[in-house]
Amino acid sequence: MTPPRRHRWRRAALNFLVVVALLVAASFLPPDTSLRDRQQAGVIKACVPPSYPPLVTGDPARPGFDIELLEAIAREIGLRLSVNTLTSIGSDFNPRNWMLTRAQCDIIAGGVADTEQTRGFLQTIPTPAQTGWMAVSRTGELPERGGTVAVLPGTAGLDRVKLSTWVRANGWTARGTPSPAQFQAALDDPNLGAGIAERFVIDSLHLENGNFKRFWLPEQDFPRYRMALGLWKGDQTLKRAVADALDRVSKSGVLASIEKRYDLAAPPEQ
Amino acid sequence: MNRAITLFRGVYGVWLREITRATRDRSQMIGGISRPLIWLLVLGVGLNPYFRGEVFGEVKYVIPFTYLQFLFPAVIVLNIMYTSIQFAVSVIWDREFGFLREVLVSPMPRSLILLGKVLGGSTVAMIHGGLVLILARFADVTLGIDQMAMALGLMFALSFGLTCFGVVLASRVRSFEGFGVFSNTVILPLYFTSSSIFPLDPTLSRTQTATAYPEWLVFMVQINPITYAVDALRGTIIGFNQFPPYYGPAVIFAMAAIFFVWALIGFRRQ
Repeated sequence: MTPPRRHRWRRAALNFLVVVALLVAASFLPPDTSLRDRQQAGVIKACVPPSYPPLVTGDPARPGFDIELLEAIAREIGLRLSVNTLTSIGSDFNPRNWMLTRAQCDIIAGGVADTEQTRGFLQTIPTPAQTGWMAVSRTGELPERGGTVAVLPGTAGLDRVKLSTWVRANGWTARGTPSPAQFQAALDDPNLGAGIAERFVIDSLHLENGNFKRFWLPEQDFPRYRMALGLWKGDQTLKRAVADALDRVSKSGVLASIEKRYDLAAPPEQ
Repeated sequence: MNRAITLFRGVYGVWLREITRATRDRSQMIGGISRPLIWLLVLGVGLNPYFRGEVFGEVKYVIPFTYLQFLFPAVIVLNIMYTSIQFAVSVIWDREFGFLREVLVSPMPRSLILLGKVLGGSTVAMIHGGLVLILARFADVTLGIDQMAMALGLMFALSFGLTCFGVVLASRVRSFEGFGVFSNTVILPLYFTSSSIFPLDPTLSRTQTATAYPEWLVFMVQINPITYAVDALRGTIIGFNQFPPYYGPAVIFAMAAIFFVWALIGFRRQ
């Protein structure tokens, strides 16, 4: 029996190592220049709606969770944050209709839910804020079959088709309300059983204390989503930098303090 | 028991020969890395701006991923396809130089000789596919351990099926030159009509899809088994399926079984 040759696999291992080393090196190549461009300009532009409390409030002293978070992220990356308020954001549930362009912003915040529909349009970085369909009623329950519910579809990109199918399947009549004010007015109607809207819309209502109870719709039908910062598809180097900065902001405790200041804890289950 | 061990050692010997030969062959290794580098770095980055999702300009690409992420699983399939089918050259080589005759007169059953060869080819093809995973960071793809294990399982089954397909081709082609031309005329059309570089939007109905693309192309995509292999890997790696998720694994495993039987019939005639 011939003894096994020494270094029998050396050539194969060497070939393999060279290949792996080359691919590892290639994986560190920057796929685009988005971060470098922002660093050269020294500024990162964010587009937000005029108001989407508590994510964007419009109050300079207390600008909102997303604005403060973006400021912290921009500081981490070494850039200045420039906030561009656009009324077109939130004008429609489909982000494609917001008519945003790269010239206006690098990041979109203040009402972007991390849903599949949004991700068809943007790359998203989820924030701790949680959203989903919630209901509000005096009894803490939805009405019996045949009742009427007010519905504010909102603009965060939640699945409104699924919601309307579910409302019909449960035998309720949906009364559409185009604005939070009309939604709130509808809730005061004694003929109405309940209202359904996105979580932050319901949070922003001035409901009489003790008269109304809010609760999530069943999670098996309506999954919860995280709100997100949206970046243009293809801006991968910028996305990585923002995601890393968010991670650092989170580890340093800054994120928790902003979260606490705006009381972002998700409402309890009922 | 002793016979089983002897047969297993025979299969192992044939497998090891294929692995040794492939890993010592630098040209094969170069082919294994040049494809992913060209496709991901050049084509992926080059086409990325056209799929960015800005509102300005015509944007049709609405799936919730970047183009690089979308392309990434397809490049793994491409690498596996080339390596698996090119493996058949070794069958022609063995036949031309008499090695196959020597092996076939051994007491090993032909089915086990073929199994050893196919397992060798599949292992090499899976390694070539696995090399692409090193570029996951570049494509902004994050893989967990379970995703990785599932992807490797699918990649091995696909490699096995395609290696058997290569053997089927080799049993019908008599020269190296003929096989080179033939393999390219098989690989490239299969790859390009597998929805590898453009998505069939799963939200569209068949009629709408046929309006967006010529019907013959949609038909080609839908009858191509590689479509389902790409879809299975996309589902595992980036969580995006254009077809029901069980289609992909079902087609891959069926392909592996059918082509092995077919290859065995051809191999028995050698």
